[in-house]
Amino acid sequence: MDVLDDIQFYVMNCHHYADIPAHDERFASSWVDMPNSEFDPVRGHEMYERYSRELKLIEELGYDAIALNEHHNTPFSLMPAPSVRAGHVIASTDRIKIMVAGVPLNLSMPNRVAEEYAMLDVMSGGRMEFGFPLGTGMEYWSNAAQMDPVTARARFREGLDVVLKAWTEPGPQRYEGEHFFYRYLNIWPRPYQQPRPKIYIMGGGSPETVDVAVEFDAGYSVVFTPIPVQLRAFADLREKCAARGRELAGEDIMLTVMAYVADTDAEAEREGRPYMERFFSWFHRVPPKYMTPPGYVTRANFERLASTRALADAQESSWEDMRAIGRIAIGSPDTVAETISHWAREAGSSRIMLNMTHANMPEEMTVKNLTLFASEVIPRIRTRTAVAP
Amino acid sequence: MSAYSERRLELGGVEIALYEAGQGEPLLFLHGAGTATGFDSLLPLAEHFRLIVPHHPGYGASADDPAIRSVHDYERHYLDLLEVLEIGNLTLVGHSMGGWIAATLAISQGERISELVLAAPWGLHVPEHPTVDAFSIPDAEVAGYLTADLSVFAGKAPDPPTPEFLADRYRELTSTARVLWQHTYDPSLARWLHRIQAPTLLLWGELDRLIPVGQLPAWRSLLAAADERILPGVGHLLFDESAQASAAIVEHAHRHAVR
Repeated sequence: MDVLDDIQFYVMNCHHYADIPAHDERFASSWVDMPNSEFDPVRGHEMYERYSRELKLIEELGYDAIALNEHHNTPFSLMPAPSVRAGHVIASTDRIKIMVAGVPLNLSMPNRVAEEYAMLDVMSGGRMEFGFPLGTGMEYWSNAAQMDPVTARARFREGLDVVLKAWTEPGPQRYEGEHFFYRYLNIWPRPYQQPRPKIYIMGGGSPETVDVAVEFDAGYSVVFTPIPVQLRAFADLREKCAARGRELAGEDIMLTVMAYVADTDAEAEREGRPYMERFFSWFHRVPPKYMTPPGYVTRANFERLASTRALADAQESSWEDMRAIGRIAIGSPDTVAETISHWAREAGSSRIMLNMTHANMPEEMTVKNLTLFASEVIPRIRTRTAVAP
Repeated sequence: MSAYSERRLELGGVEIALYEAGQGEPLLFLHGAGTATGFDSLLPLAEHFRLIVPHHPGYGASADDPAIRSVHDYERHYLDLLEVLEIGNLTLVGHSMGGWIAATLAISQGERISELVLAAPWGLHVPEHPTVDAFSIPDAEVAGYLTADLSVFAGKAPDPPTPEFLADRYRELTSTARVLWQHTYDPSLARWLHRIQAPTLLLWGELDRLIPVGQLPAWRSLLAAADERILPGVGHLLFDESAQASAAIVEHAHRHAVR
């Protein structure tokens, strides 16, 4: 089956704090230690209001899902608590799916994540999906005392086990793990969707996160990784699933794409590219040290990263690097439809996670981007008028 | 001067690298949270002792041991090592994180320690002179925190650093995080230091920017029998920076042997 037959479009809104400070070169990092004196609460309120309008528009335009994510100590994200946002979105929308992707399990207690997410699922009448990230290296610096990066992967795996058992097995249960111990695992409410909401592991392409997706029959999504590494991870996932007798469906692989569409290729590049570059140069300004706290990656992986520092340091990345890391689809409706269709087929993916609000892009540009994509790109992909067979 | 002979042995399924030189009373040296500068600066000790310098699991030429999660696990690891080496009484020297391990070992093994040397030891909570959080130091400033004399890295750290060198440091930092990420001191250490009865030398660099010499009086007040020696103009890597560091250990040993 062609993955395009079943294709769905999710729109991720990262809730950037859109005001970039004057003389931003003063700040070596926009993560972890970026002074919060730069945050203006009144402007912050206006931005939440703006993003609320965008989220409602996403439903009105017929997209399949809204996706919300979590980060800490950074203007990248006004969403340290995406479940809070999801509760608001449930109340302000009627039919659209909502993906929370999501709380790094190590930042919370897994039983609390299980019950919080079950609550959202019941409140929404079963409109929820959930993505489980290990959390970027930056989250481990930002929450140092509680989150030991050395044991992060082991606790993440066990925490996910707790969530899934809490969702799917009758309680009360006793859980005796290496990192978590429960006398009475017995969440109220239980999820609306049976046996459970669909889940994705949000990874960076490492074999370790692929293994978690395989073990827990989860979908898989790779974020901010050059395309060849993404494709290798998908191939790894497909092979490991096949070894367990599970055939991956298109909906099990989620592609993250940064998209900007305008009437012509030239117009799109002229309008969109400066904001996409700004996204990398400011919102993705992260010293390598913050990406890899001790123990977050293996020694071998670290050496590989140290050898390709240019990819880790967005300020030194070329536009071509950015296009590969962010899967940037930019151009006319034909170009963007063609690009995304090609990537979806290449990856075997029928779930496309779109980033449509780039850096400090004004609201009217985002609205234009969302509207044009919905009216001109999605129909082209669905009917394949711009897509080679 | 004598040279090290290297040997490998297995402890609990983990391969350990061990460097030995000299003869006589055993002196076990427990290194700090890195091995980049090597341990040749200790070789003068081999003129007077059977010098034993193991690499901790997770550092240098030793393999990783995922079972090690605390300084107490290192303590048990070294109990295993002493048993395998059939060492009863010994002189114990610990530098930095190794000083923390050495103090912990001396608390439980007091009767075996004929002398203890704590060189700029990590582990005590001294709020007026706090230990700098090594994990928070920007990469470019690490060397300046480690030493008052950057020439100690000459020929030992490639400039600019290679990916392999950086990855080795990352691995050692990971091993350090395994035991020290959540707490960079042991709140109960002060409670038990009184159990150390062995003659103890507190050895410190005057210019230590990582673990300030201002912590020395706190250690002295908690130990039963402590002498002190502060090396002028010297930073945290005191053995690399000054021959006086090893010499002070020998002097201390002679003084207590005579007494």
